[in-house]
Amino acid sequence: MDELELLKKDWQKKKDNLPKVSYNDIHQMLWKKSSSIVKWIFYISIIEFVLPHLLYLLPSTRESVDIYESLGMKNFIIISSILQYSVIIYFIYQFYTRYKEITVLDNSKNLMKRILKTRKTVKSYVIFSLSMILFMFGAIVVSIYLNDNFDSSTYEPFVAITKNFSKEKVKPILMAVFAFTGIAVTLILGGIYFLLYGILLKKLKINYAELKKLEV
Amino acid sequence: MTKELEHNFITELENNQNIVHKVCTLYTNNKDAHNDLFQEITIQLWKAYPKFRGESKFSTWMYRIAINTAITLYRKSKRTIITQDYESVIFKIKADEYDETEEQQLKLLYKAVKELGDIDKALVFLYLEDKNYTEIAETLGISEVNARVKMNRIKKKLKTILNP
Repeated sequence: MDELELLKKDWQKKKDNLPKVSYNDIHQMLWKKSSSIVKWIFYISIIEFVLPHLLYLLPSTRESVDIYESLGMKNFIIISSILQYSVIIYFIYQFYTRYKEITVLDNSKNLMKRILKTRKTVKSYVIFSLSMILFMFGAIVVSIYLNDNFDSSTYEPFVAITKNFSKEKVKPILMAVFAFTGIAVTLILGGIYFLLYGILLKKLKINYAELKKLEV
Repeated sequence: MTKELEHNFITELENNQNIVHKVCTLYTNNKDAHNDLFQEITIQLWKAYPKFRGESKFSTWMYRIAINTAITLYRKSKRTIITQDYESVIFKIKADEYDETEEQQLKLLYKAVKELGDIDKALVFLYLEDKNYTEIAETLGISEVNARVKMNRIKKKLKTILNP
């Protein structure tokens, strides 16, 4: 006899050995929070969207905005902020539409595809944000290079450095500090993000690849 | 209205809970994980319930959501700790019902099925539940031909495990 037929015969008799959950147990479960990966992706994404903007609420970050004024980058910052926010709004819209399309009633392959698509939106957003961070630090480094007059600056770290170092050294030191900070911030934020998602979506990716393989 | 919806849902699920338990049995290795997955499937079923229009049987409708939750939404993957009593409860085979070789074979078969990948398990599960290839293919989102091909491969795999 076919092995699976043997198994099937036994499988369909299995009722007695299975656990039983009562009406009340089910009732309680209805109010528990889902721990599905879709929920996780949603929460993490909201954090991704909100966190950088919350940083501006901290006094220390707000102060550092002074740096742009010291370097005469004010107009540049206003224009790039407008661009940045337009792109962010676009990403949030995309994310929301895709997130809404995820339904457990879909077939498995489509469900996985939609989840990965939603995740891709967030991934693109994160890459965009990281590039922006890197770009901003890059712009600061360039402005320092082009700027010769730090004496009038009120930005504290500038004042401290100008006081303690000779004039020729100030520029390279400042440029190195900003370049290094920019790269470090980008790497750390990016590393955390990709590690988090890697762990979260490992199983889903394996299963999706398996289903895709069946198509060939 | 909501109370009624809730009552209908709980009654339906209570009556059809075996389907969910069987999925949990296949995809988890201990009691805690089993209950955890059961709860997640229940939440997903409940969330989707307002969209259930009764065009199909409640049980038919459950399969897709249960499978989707197990292979896609459920975060925790394989847990390695297998509790002894859990295994013996689920796979208990009454000695007097089978001859010895058949019993031995079944034990090996269950073990082999548990070791399959998530997708293979889903196919086997639907097959064991007497679903036809059209339904299996629709649930997973693959073509019927591919569902058959895949199933034959799984059968061969199981055969070699049983007759090395």
